[in-house]
Amino acid sequence: MSAVNTWNSTQHFWLIILGFCVAFVPRFLPLMLFTKRAIPEWFNEWMKFVPVSLFTALIVKDIFIDSASYALILNHFAEMLAAVVVVIVAYRTRSMLISVVTGLIAVFLLSMVIA
Amino acid sequence: MNKRRPNPKQVTDPNEPLWRSTLRVAMPLNLSYIPIGLACGILLHAAGFNTLLTGLVSILIFSGGAQFLIATMLTINSPLLSIVLMLFFLELRYALLSSSLSPYLKGQSNHFLFIFAVSLNDENYAINYLKFATDKKWTGKEALMVEHYSLLFWAASNVIGSLIGSTLKIDLGIVNFALTALFLYMIVMQIKNRLTVVICLISGVLAAVCMMLTKSTLGLVISTIIASLIGFFLETTLRKHLPDSHWLWKLRGPGAKKSVVENTDE
Repeated sequence: MSAVNTWNSTQHFWLIILGFCVAFVPRFLPLMLFTKRAIPEWFNEWMKFVPVSLFTALIVKDIFIDSASYALILNHFAEMLAAVVVVIVAYRTRSMLISVVTGLIAVFLLSMVIA
Repeated sequence: MNKRRPNPKQVTDPNEPLWRSTLRVAMPLNLSYIPIGLACGILLHAAGFNTLLTGLVSILIFSGGAQFLIATMLTINSPLLSIVLMLFFLELRYALLSSSLSPYLKGQSNHFLFIFAVSLNDENYAINYLKFATDKKWTGKEALMVEHYSLLFWAASNVIGSLIGSTLKIDLGIVNFALTALFLYMIVMQIKNRLTVVICLISGVLAAVCMMLTKSTLGLVISTIIASLIGFFLETTLRKHLPDSHWLWKLRGPGAKKSVVENTDE
């Protein structure tokens, strides 16, 4: 990737400030609201399913969705196989570090073999 | 996991200082941030960011996805407004994350919530959510320390990546898989019953469809909301009408007896 961008540092600075605003508001407002007033039981029951749903969505984005065109891609076989390896390792060892390291080694080796 | 078992690590070492026990919890994340942070710093350098601004963006925005997006959009010369709009949609998902952490942060001051929100991101959320759900002693203070450790490693890796600049060439696809692996691990740890597995599958299909339709990461937000609502309604209905349904049977892995995050070290 070559540096083709012509922005100067002042423009970068304003991009960061605006980026901070749009990043901060969604993180802060719900905390502010929901820690102050009583949370209904159904809301907690619903929120229980947010992490699994979100993490699955993020994984699907990483493995099956092209980051530029948002088209479906089904040829990342190295990542798919490595993902299965990670799930098995995570299930057996319950260790975050071992899972991540095995996953990296697996995707590295598999992409050399498959690609 | 309904039964709470004593945490073996805390029993064996009750005098461990807080900064060290929280660092131990944060360490796997910190280590996986190093290659990704380096990659992100290199990318931002290629997009024209200087080192100081790279440090600033990794502290203020602190989101791998957002920073990769900034770098990519700058290299294709997108206008400021469209980059900020994309960032907004990308960061919207944090509303879901902070909503789901809010039950654990009741009674904290506004000042604390402000500081906590600034350094919240996907990965330290995953760790803190797991700790809040499994460890009774985990409070906002410990959670904030985990956030700051990960912020420190992330910002430092970004700055070093920016300094290395163009001298190093790495395969971003492979480095990015560290995050994918981290999320996979988190899912495996969150699987409580067969219903959760079903919700994962539904969420995966929905995520792909929604992202293809919206052509943006807004699809992530939409699919997460729909999938978690489906999970909520399915569970409520099953509990009401079929409390003995095998979909609610607990699943237990071979290591489930141990506390989940503690055995990540050594």
